[in-house]
Amino acid sequence: MTRMTRSVCIVGGGAAGWLTAGLLAARRSSPDGSGLKVTLIESEQIGIIGVGEGTWPTMRNTLKKIGISETQFVRRCNASFKQGAKFARWRTGAADDFYYHPLVLPEGFPTVDLAPYWNAASLEDPAAPSFSDAVCFQEFLCENHRAPKLISSPEFGGIANYAYHLDAHLFAELVREHCVERLGVKHVLDDVTEVERAECGDIAAIVGQRTGRLEADLFVDCTGFASRLLGDALEVPFVDCSDVLFIDRALAVQVPYESEDSPVVSHTVSTGQKHGWIWDIGLKNRRGVGYVYSSSHAQGDDVEAELAAYVGPKFDCLTTREIRIRAGHRAQFWKHNCVAVGMSAGFLEPLEASALVMIELSADYIAAMLPATRSGMDVVAARYNEITQYRWDRVIEFLKLHYVLSERNDTAFWRDNRDPASIPQRLIDQLELWRYNSPSELDFSSSHEMFPAASYQYVLFGMGFKMDADMQRHALRDPVAAQLAFERNAMLKRQWVPKLPTTRDLLNKLEQYEFQKI
Amino acid sequence: MHLQQLSRTAHGDLRIDPDKARSQAASAHLVPLSRAELRQASRSYPLFFAKDLETGQFFPAALLGLKASENLFWDGAVFDADYIPLNIRRLPFYIGGENPAQGMICIDADSAGIDPKGECRILEDDGSDSAYIQGIQAMLATLSQQHEPTRQFAQTAADLGLLSEIKLDIVLDDGERIEVAGLYGIDDRNFEQNFDRIGTFEEKMLYAAMMLSLDNVAGLVRRKNIRNGALAAWHTPASG
Repeated sequence: MTRMTRSVCIVGGGAAGWLTAGLLAARRSSPDGSGLKVTLIESEQIGIIGVGEGTWPTMRNTLKKIGISETQFVRRCNASFKQGAKFARWRTGAADDFYYHPLVLPEGFPTVDLAPYWNAASLEDPAAPSFSDAVCFQEFLCENHRAPKLISSPEFGGIANYAYHLDAHLFAELVREHCVERLGVKHVLDDVTEVERAECGDIAAIVGQRTGRLEADLFVDCTGFASRLLGDALEVPFVDCSDVLFIDRALAVQVPYESEDSPVVSHTVSTGQKHGWIWDIGLKNRRGVGYVYSSSHAQGDDVEAELAAYVGPKFDCLTTREIRIRAGHRAQFWKHNCVAVGMSAGFLEPLEASALVMIELSADYIAAMLPATRSGMDVVAARYNEITQYRWDRVIEFLKLHYVLSERNDTAFWRDNRDPASIPQRLIDQLELWRYNSPSELDFSSSHEMFPAASYQYVLFGMGFKMDADMQRHALRDPVAAQLAFERNAMLKRQWVPKLPTTRDLLNKLEQYEFQKI
Repeated sequence: MHLQQLSRTAHGDLRIDPDKARSQAASAHLVPLSRAELRQASRSYPLFFAKDLETGQFFPAALLGLKASENLFWDGAVFDADYIPLNIRRLPFYIGGENPAQGMICIDADSAGIDPKGECRILEDDGSDSAYIQGIQAMLATLSQQHEPTRQFAQTAADLGLLSEIKLDIVLDDGERIEVAGLYGIDDRNFEQNFDRIGTFEEKMLYAAMMLSLDNVAGLVRRKNIRNGALAAWHTPASG
């Protein structure tokens, strides 16, 4: 007997739960109730972690799919526009040490690869402009506090590629409201006391303290670090990655702006510290700041004092929150009729805002590939596990790349990060290849790639990596095309900085006016 | 431009030459329209929606030229069209103040239309308002009263999904290629699909008029070709 997939039960109501509910319902449910039945059960007792405040540009498409307008999203979530990340004090640790990982591809990429030309120029003249500044105009926008779009740009479109900074609690609230009111998702407030198994190993039902048994054809575990279904009930082990990524603790704080018209920084700032790094995310009404560090390296050292020094005198009046992080992921993500999305599947330090995007990708895949019957589910699950494992591996490698090229020697944290034993073999191999060929799409050929080759270029060359010039001559065959691309980049900077509003101005305008749909 | 609040004492003696005042529109390629004049304007011009760069909101407008600062209806002396938009006819007068609904009448003291030989007076000999200035007052009143209905009309078109971006890609007789972006029009498929969601018969007619007016782009191209032809004749030495 083959059972039809008619209902999904999502356990947990953070960003993972509600985004999954939204993407599933928008694609699979119908207003007349004939489609997939989506139920989300969340506890009134357990809060959400809610520090995932940086997104990828993918979020624009996700909001569009779910049916939330950009203006509504920005207003409701105190959101702002994010144009990438600025990494300060990661390479040498000096006060003026920084580079950018912008969201706009290098000019001409991938038709013209500017990396070899930039490499040659900077070997000749160490004072040459940085890679990100030479090949991309977005750094210049960020340094001038410019927004990536105009008030007359259509919603979800802009002049420069962008993502968001958002308040995770308000975001979960907005998506919940939309799911319940517009998409027909059933919302149950209750604590899950028991997970009932069927003979075949599937989850037959979950039992709510007040509401009783709840059956479903697919269960989505969005219970956060607890991993109540996949981890506890189905006993899928956790694969620890702390041998590669050492960070296991976060100290978070919300910092108010000096005044109502203080600039809103439209990129995430990540500043290297003694035992980790500090994130700094500008929302409309406040900044979210946090020190993520390795507790074993920081032992006996005053991490709070480091955070206080970063925030400044007002730190004394603010409340900090400590969060424990387990770097790693489950050995399997979809088992039987249960799939984990969000922190129940795994978590890594928020260095490249990978948490929300993993949720979007997972939920998207589940919504698109949801098998019609139970017999198809094992096939889909096997594929999902393969793809998701690939994605986690690539994120782990990419995060590690930020550390392995650092020249910082001031603490064991930075030195230990360069220990070859802590570096995944594939990353070691890539670094060897990149001495002769700049990162290209051929290095990243899966259709489930997480970061494009351009992202590797930004981090690699931003961290001071140099390719072997003698082996690079073949890549310098079209200097005219390269020159034109460098000039186009300079032209874009001149053209757009005067035309674009500041991020603060654009956010103020959005209080009164809306982005048009087209 | 130098706007002054219109007053009997300061401006009572002025004479206005309306054609010269309209010369300011010689470089206007896109003129905002009020809802009340859409039907008439749709016979002479292609009508589009454009976005206000300060607010991102749509407003209806007549396209008068194919390039920035080009008005193909201005022949150097007069505005050659069956219907002249209110925003051009009311020159050199403006509505001043923050809120157009309760603004005061202003005059542009720098306007070329202020001319002692001009045919129009502001006040009659007996000190009463001239028929000319009464006509101007009526136009400005229409513009301010129509401000909010016009804004709503444009927003409704956007909200109902009637609009699509229209990119003009034109090759002129002399081979020159012109691309015009940033214009939005009533899309016939969207119009058909959402027809029943449009509130009133009058609104349906106005959107239809705007949609059909897009055919007037052909007229603009004809004017542009004639103008280019005249310019070429001017520049090319006569042979033989």
